[in-house]
Amino acid sequence: METTTVFLVLILLTVISFLTGRKRSHAVTSGQGGARALHSLPKHYGYMAGLWALLPALTVLVLWLLFESSILASIVKDDMPGELWQMSESEQGLYFNQVVGYARGATDADMLDPAQIVAGDHYRALAESSRVIKALLVFVIALLGALLAIRRIHPKLRARNHVEKIFKWLLFSCSLLAVLTTLGIVLSVLFEAIRFFQAIPIADFLFGLQWSPQTAIRADQVAASGSFGIVPLFVGTLLISTVAMIIAVPVGLMSAIYLSEYATRRFRAFTKPVLEILAGVPTVVYGFFAALTVAPFIRNVGEALGLHVASESALAAGLVMGIMIIPFVMSLSDDIINAVPDTMREASLGMGATMNETIRKVLLPAALPGIVGGILLAVSRAIGETMIVVMAAGLSARLTINPLEAVTTITVQIVTLLVGDQEFDNPKTLAAFALGLVLFFVTLLLNIIALYVVRKYREQYE
Amino acid sequence: MKKHPVSAVVLAAMIGGATVSQAANRDTISIVGSSTVYPFATVVAERFGRSTQFKTPKIESTGSGGGLKLFCKGVGANTPDITNSSRRIKASEYNDCQANGVTEIVEVLIGYDGIALANAASAPRLAISLKDLYLALAKDIPGPDGKLIPNPNKTWKDVNPNLPATTIEVLGPPPTSGTRDAFAELAMGGGAKRIAELKALSDLSAEQAQQIKAAMAKLGLPAGLYEAMQEQKGKAPKGEDIFETIAYALREDGAYIEAGENDNLIVQKLDANPNAVGIFGFSFLEENGDKVQGSEVDGVTPTYDTIASGDYPVSRPLYFYIKSAHVGIIPGIQEYAVEFTSARALGEDGYLPDKGLIPLPEDELKEVEAAVKALTPMSM
Amino acid sequence: MNNMSKPRSATPTDAIRASLKKRYARERRFQWYGRLAVLTGFVFLFILLADIVSKGTPAFTQHYIKVSVDLDPATLGLPAEPSREQLYSADYLGAIKAGLRAMFPDVSGRKEKQQLYRLLSMGAEYNLRDKVLDDPRLIGHSSEFWLRAHAEAGSYLKGQIPAGSPEADRKVKDLQIAWLDQLRAEGRTESRFNTTFFTQGDSREPEMAGIRVALYGSFFTLVVTFLIAFPIGVSAAVYLEEFAPRNRLTDLIEININNLAAVPSIVFGLLGLAVFINFFELPRSAPLVGGIVLSLMTLPTIIITSRAAIQAVSPSIRQAALGVGASKLQTVVHHVLPVAMPGILTGSIIGMAQALGESAPLLMIGMVAFIMEVPGGVTDPATVLPVQIFLWADSPERGFTEKTSAAIMVLMGFLILMNAFAIFLRRRFERK
Repeated sequence: METTTVFLVLILLTVISFLTGRKRSHAVTSGQGGARALHSLPKHYGYMAGLWALLPALTVLVLWLLFESSILASIVKDDMPGELWQMSESEQGLYFNQVVGYARGATDADMLDPAQIVAGDHYRALAESSRVIKALLVFVIALLGALLAIRRIHPKLRARNHVEKIFKWLLFSCSLLAVLTTLGIVLSVLFEAIRFFQAIPIADFLFGLQWSPQTAIRADQVAASGSFGIVPLFVGTLLISTVAMIIAVPVGLMSAIYLSEYATRRFRAFTKPVLEILAGVPTVVYGFFAALTVAPFIRNVGEALGLHVASESALAAGLVMGIMIIPFVMSLSDDIINAVPDTMREASLGMGATMNETIRKVLLPAALPGIVGGILLAVSRAIGETMIVVMAAGLSARLTINPLEAVTTITVQIVTLLVGDQEFDNPKTLAAFALGLVLFFVTLLLNIIALYVVRKYREQYE
Repeated sequence: MKKHPVSAVVLAAMIGGATVSQAANRDTISIVGSSTVYPFATVVAERFGRSTQFKTPKIESTGSGGGLKLFCKGVGANTPDITNSSRRIKASEYNDCQANGVTEIVEVLIGYDGIALANAASAPRLAISLKDLYLALAKDIPGPDGKLIPNPNKTWKDVNPNLPATTIEVLGPPPTSGTRDAFAELAMGGGAKRIAELKALSDLSAEQAQQIKAAMAKLGLPAGLYEAMQEQKGKAPKGEDIFETIAYALREDGAYIEAGENDNLIVQKLDANPNAVGIFGFSFLEENGDKVQGSEVDGVTPTYDTIASGDYPVSRPLYFYIKSAHVGIIPGIQEYAVEFTSARALGEDGYLPDKGLIPLPEDELKEVEAAVKALTPMSM
Repeated sequence: MNNMSKPRSATPTDAIRASLKKRYARERRFQWYGRLAVLTGFVFLFILLADIVSKGTPAFTQHYIKVSVDLDPATLGLPAEPSREQLYSADYLGAIKAGLRAMFPDVSGRKEKQQLYRLLSMGAEYNLRDKVLDDPRLIGHSSEFWLRAHAEAGSYLKGQIPAGSPEADRKVKDLQIAWLDQLRAEGRTESRFNTTFFTQGDSREPEMAGIRVALYGSFFTLVVTFLIAFPIGVSAAVYLEEFAPRNRLTDLIEININNLAAVPSIVFGLLGLAVFINFFELPRSAPLVGGIVLSLMTLPTIIITSRAAIQAVSPSIRQAALGVGASKLQTVVHHVLPVAMPGILTGSIIGMAQALGESAPLLMIGMVAFIMEVPGGVTDPATVLPVQIFLWADSPERGFTEKTSAAIMVLMGFLILMNAFAIFLRRRFERK
């Protein structure tokens, strides 16, 4: 039986358990005045039965799928002739790849030696029985779970509390996923980052004022100069993000206010989704736009004003990035402002305040935590953007706060280092992992600070 | 979920479908590696897929370093069969391969990629020498007293009075790029050797430590550099090593602009800015004859013929590497390699030169073809 | 205010009235700022779209050239009773070349002939083969075939080559232009809707390239992303807003989520490579892994926006529900979530749009690749639309410029469709 079918049947069993549980709750109270004698609503008993049928069986199914192929492989390998064990591990893998291919009908028998064919047939038979056992096991567990739950149904059983507890744990585990992801990220960059710090002293990296990986181009020049200083990259990142936010926050926030407070419903319904398209335009498009339209324009204007403007400038990249993140600020703020209760608006207007006074004095403060959240999200997007910066601001890391100069960002450097042609044990490539790690901890620190600041503010407000 | 039985079923089918085919075996060739070789390898893969009964190979563009890293991870269906590279495999990578059980590797040199120097077609054609290029782009150049000073040249005229008085503005690849390495070695190195004191330095062997130190002192280099390099290498450095440190470093004051590896973008930027000069792959020059023109370097413009003959000084070799252990197990690997090196593909009228690859001379091509057919493993 | 009696002395009313003009002016100004802001957004969107559409439209047509091909078994190198195998590997290119030469008998010399052959796409050979395989009776006869034109010839036929430009500056040479003019005069060229663009995978010849693989890849990837990110994201937001006790663990989770939003997307690719491909041994280049990675990437966006939306729900709604005896969960599911849904959907749209346009993390897990075979499921190798766009934008061939823009149009279409669906949902929930 295919996994899909097993899964569908499992869902079906869940639904049946739900119905049975609900029915059962009616049945147990038939002599005692019907459903009113129950502690919880009948459907809660149904949910309980359904969850008991679904969750254990689903866990077993997932575990089975995760370990099925490796267990099958080890059984088949154990029964294979000794010659297999004389090969190195990787050769075994290849040899076995053919066995599995044959068992699945993808490899022709004439490419294989007899031992492989025997093993392949063995594998196929095992896989067949594994499918059957898997299906049976899942169904039995589902039925057992459902039965257990249904048998427990009793008017005094606090089914609702039971179900809610399960749900609460499910919700909790969902939010725990973020911690797991963080852990995964740290672990997947840590190892290489440590190798980098073995070659480059961590202090040079953190406080160095020069970023020019080129001088470390040869293995023998690594320590020749402190060329892996992260400061210019941080400044560049800040500079470009700031320019972007200077564009995105006023335009986005004003659009949101206009849409939620002044515009007609129809105009809003049309405008909001249309402007959200800006968030979905591929960044390559913005990159070309920034590099070929905006940057030359800025240069021409700048030169007409007698300023020195580099062909690649932080301003061009930041401007276009700002356009890209307008929808982040706009859409999110619009929703938040819209969600402020009408009573507050009416109270303020009723006192004779104009609309704009109402907005500035009443609505914005009320919506502020949400708006700040949206803006932070937009900043995050700006920090993480690469394509626009590569195309419009280049890759030269210069320590400057002049937006008319070329700068680069941490993210851009990470991407460039990772996809370059240099070998992977070179500090030049490893630097990407170190940059990722450092950026991670810096944003972590900022977020911790932000959390406490926001919390303090919010408590005052509430 | 219970409220929406339909969506629940759809969801179920999706997740179920996802888990069905946990492919443990593979019958498509998996290729990774350089983004410079990618446009050529894909052409071959496409022809190969269309004209044979084999499946079209899957080709990833990961960069040479990333490709070799994946390639050397080991033998087995979950590792790539072939990796493309715009430079030769390095000793450290070869050792990594060996340590992970990738013992037999076939190296295939497929041809050259011209690195073109070009500017906007609307501007006058630039005619420079390698020495001009070095003096325009090097981070430090010998000053009037022979000591190295930060490059003071602002315009091309400062470099060479015969050149126009436009600001030096060169768009080129970043230090992580193989194109950059090749450019540094051939153009910058070549240019620096036209300067007597640098040339003298580069000719010194490791034994001539005293002369090297004297030459370094003359150039105003700190004495510590010699020791630092000695410590790094574990042995006495050659004059060439010191020379490379000086010659291969490009300016970081804005005259040289690291522009990412999107060559189309460089072409369009040049089109928009007549003062700028760009460094990019020859195939992009060929395709965009209306927007950009190749600059004359040492009196030679980059064309197909001048690069093939070696008259045009800046080009770099392209390779791919085959994992012998996979040949015969993943179907079609050798056939693909044979197609790649056949006259139909790489010959003078083949479809790869048509895409801008500079092929090998005929006798060398024959050798490569024979090596592919015999799967001769490389050694290092 | 009209029927107010005349002021006798300076009262607060006077002060207010005096300030009214100023206040109204400010009000009007404020409104104009709003209009201006919205307009700014529209202008940028319009510029971008106009650029894309004008560049991409030509990609939807494809030119064909009618060539008379003699499918003589001798030229094809076929025996009297060819097997299917032999038909597959016959020399169709030779037959096509002979057909072209027959149309222009005075073409001589290798260079000229090469230019002549270059009028047709490299795919013409394979298209002809497929036609013959469908109908082997064609062998032995001379028939007229509409064969696909080369992208360069096509660009001339589409009128993209300005007249009088110097020959050295373009790929289509004067001779080829003369031939094409003659063919056009004879009615042997035709422009058709480019179905290939939607039915084929990637190709290195612009005229043969299609976005089917990328479209399917994007679809599969996004389905996986949505199925993982939306339920988990909303659940996490509900937990954090409604259930979580105030303690260190909750703070940790909250900070983690905010921090994940700022992690560069390529780092998620590194995570995917290390965890899902190297550890769980999921297949490389598969939409399944891509979807998981992108869902981890979009989760923070969805959680943060959903939390903001849930937070904004008026406490009175909760109190009312709890007051009539609803449990905490019932309150949330029946009363809070429906009110918060528009905001949650907005966050999800933005998160999904971000996932749809993302290419950097996919590089690490092998989805930046040349793939011709259309994926059948979430574990087959595939690429996605932004990657395809990126790869085409990086191709030297001129013909890919219009394909790039056309692919962007398709991506936007995909996005608009996705948004439309979300808006439909949002509308159903929204109330003011």
